[in-house]
Amino acid sequence: MKFKESVIIDEPVKGLSTFVIPTKVRDVITISGSMLGGMLFSNNHKISSLTSSMLDKGTQKKTKHEISNILESMGAEISFISSNRHINFTAHCLKSDIDTVVELIAEQLREPAFPENELDILKKRMIANLEISKDDTKKQALINFLRNIYPDDHHNSRSTISDSINHIELVKTKDLNIFHNNSFGLGSLKVAAAGDISSDLLNGLIKTNFDGWKQQKIKQLSNGSLANKRMKSENNIEIKDKTSSDVYIGQTVELSEHNKDYLSLMMGIYILGGNFSARLMQTVRDEQGLTYGIGSTIAGCGYGINGHWHTWGTFSPKLVEQGINSTIIEIDKWYKNGITQKELNAKKTTLNGLYQVSLDTTGGLIDKILTNAEKGRDIKYLDNYTNLINTLDNDNINKVINKYIDPQKFTTTIAGSDV
Amino acid sequence: MSNQYEHIKSSGGIDEYRLKSNDLRVLMLQDNSTPVATFMVTYHVGSRNEAIGYTGSTHLLEHLMFKGSRNFNKEQGTAIWDELQSIGAQINATTWNDRTNYFEVVPSEHIEKAISIEADRMRFSFLRDEDRQPEMTVVRNEYERGENSPFDVLDKNIWATAYQAHPYHHSTIGWRSDIENVSTERLKEFYDVYYWPNNATATIIGDFEKDTTLSLIAKYFGEHEKSGHEIPSVYTEEPEQQGPRRVVVKRAGQSGITAIAHKSPPGLNSDTYAIQVLGKILCDGKSSRLYKKTVDKGLATSLFMYDFPFKDNGLFITYAFLTPGTENQTVEDIILNEYDDIVNSGVDESEILRAVAQIRATVAFSRDGSYAVASALNEAIAIGDWKFYTTFLDKIKLVTAEDVKRVAQKYLNEDQSTIGWFIPKNSDK
Repeated sequence: MKFKESVIIDEPVKGLSTFVIPTKVRDVITISGSMLGGMLFSNNHKISSLTSSMLDKGTQKKTKHEISNILESMGAEISFISSNRHINFTAHCLKSDIDTVVELIAEQLREPAFPENELDILKKRMIANLEISKDDTKKQALINFLRNIYPDDHHNSRSTISDSINHIELVKTKDLNIFHNNSFGLGSLKVAAAGDISSDLLNGLIKTNFDGWKQQKIKQLSNGSLANKRMKSENNIEIKDKTSSDVYIGQTVELSEHNKDYLSLMMGIYILGGNFSARLMQTVRDEQGLTYGIGSTIAGCGYGINGHWHTWGTFSPKLVEQGINSTIIEIDKWYKNGITQKELNAKKTTLNGLYQVSLDTTGGLIDKILTNAEKGRDIKYLDNYTNLINTLDNDNINKVINKYIDPQKFTTTIAGSDV
Repeated sequence: MSNQYEHIKSSGGIDEYRLKSNDLRVLMLQDNSTPVATFMVTYHVGSRNEAIGYTGSTHLLEHLMFKGSRNFNKEQGTAIWDELQSIGAQINATTWNDRTNYFEVVPSEHIEKAISIEADRMRFSFLRDEDRQPEMTVVRNEYERGENSPFDVLDKNIWATAYQAHPYHHSTIGWRSDIENVSTERLKEFYDVYYWPNNATATIIGDFEKDTTLSLIAKYFGEHEKSGHEIPSVYTEEPEQQGPRRVVVKRAGQSGITAIAHKSPPGLNSDTYAIQVLGKILCDGKSSRLYKKTVDKGLATSLFMYDFPFKDNGLFITYAFLTPGTENQTVEDIILNEYDDIVNSGVDESEILRAVAQIRATVAFSRDGSYAVASALNEAIAIGDWKFYTTFLDKIKLVTAEDVKRVAQKYLNEDQSTIGWFIPKNSDK
């Protein structure tokens, strides 16, 4: 399948692009959309999160119960969430209900009510979830890892749980109204649909429901701070009564997805720990039995921002030290000796095959199309991706690993009991 | 179709065949819309086939099944993970109460690879002690990860309290000491009792050519004979519960959990459909009864219920995750009052229509992708009739308000209940 030939791209309303890929799945449609206005677009990041989470709490025309009754009587779902940069929505419905679902999405985006009592309940629930996350070893290890390698105002950093709770408590309905007034609208809105749907059907519904909406007044995002200087450090978080600890090891890398070395480094890190047959799972898990799961990945490199790479694994408290040592040994071997041509060949076919397999569901298709569009890439990039992977060169990958990774300056974070 | 097979039945686009030489069942659902197929082998063995001393064995054995077999092993450079992941396959296996399944989602040109690997390890898995030692600690870490979660711990305690004799008493991961101490010989014995073609169903969904694929399955699985023994059945029955039970778990945490469980019938019982509708009315979605009375009131962060259809009796459980400061008793009372309301007054027709619409959509979504179909079909195979998957929606559509009231009266009975609380010992780290 070629995306260029299969995806129908249009702009039925100025400032709103559509991407439609009809598939043979019967009756089912998945829609995802996004627009700029994520958490980075307000000084208090929780304003965007609360705004998107309040979209299903009532509109100028309908109460939240009327909305949920309409959706649930069709078995349909609509959800809204804020990511760092975007306000995202996803809907699943049967073909027979697509007109009602698109109408509701538009109404929720355009005319939210933001009732004060609902905001109070939502804030209480979000704070409760944050309190609960204090016990989550994986989340705590990741937050602390990111806070160690990035300053507070870096786009890839995370707030402490306490700061997040404080930020939520400060938000009032007037903040949501101001944010909605400024940030929501046409301009960067993208809607992708897959399944039992035609481009004509979606574009017609978009015109009916979105034409005439105001334009976004999105401010330019600042670049944020540079990452912290890399240095060897260890930071442990004690959480009581935990039988397994989560460990992050990694550091920032001075490159973004725009960099010509990005795919080479991504492939190098994938060979280290991208899947079960990668080195970390084969040694630390399969041979040594030290963990149920361990892997490595590169992250936070989108939109021209330099990101980081890390390994993540879980270990029994008594095996944490041994687990970390074994992980470091494998990283050292990878860094010093590099990857082999055989490994590269295998992982090229892996990624090519995974790409094909990911097209098996409407959700998989849409993720690829929408993410690609959000990053401003032409649809042809999706067709060319496997070619880019296939041209990666073993020697260059090893040079790139040595250029961007510094084993002397890893940050390690452990969250668990008796750490 | 090859004369090596007997056609058994068809339903919902799925065809069932029996490989005559060894009684392997084969299910096929062809859909050539994307160049992907899922191949899956379901063994009719799960943690219900275990007993004290070797709980968790089915799952540990599932792990060892990836360590190598006659033709696919590290020594020959043909390790299972390498062979499959190098072609981009999504590969894994899962174990649950009534079944163990191994599956590969593959670019369709690699179907033969998946079939050959599953056939090889059906009877020629190595199951070596030197592999069990490191894999035991892997599984133990999986157990430990689960124990990190208050929900997982409470859920295990509820099943262990509700079921005393029946093997659903223990969770699929097993007890820690059994994971650590079960012998390789015991696992091999388990393998030699249950891993046979006549105790398995092979399923293929997606982009394949029927005759070619049937030939491949016959070529690779046909080398196995059927077991020389009867596959043992589980004869342990749970004695009748004669009063309500309670279990409390206390440990460090941030907020409480209230869970209310009632015994429910086996999955193939005709009451299953009305019970599924009852669960939707109570807990599924923002307009469900309990969501409005708990989450909407700020008493819970979320709630859900499950009543997975199993081969034997199950549990109808509602879980509420409490906001800090909310008492377990408060939410318990709300849930039980709502149960009482349905027992006494029944439900509205509009609630039935909403629940049926939700299930109708869920069924449609469960056909989005070959793995989604295989996964849903796997659970129907496990409870003893794969047509449960293809006929489920039609039977749901027949459920009436009177049916829902009747099953509520029959199963939401205090004497059949087990109530579980998770109480956080303190809110500090």
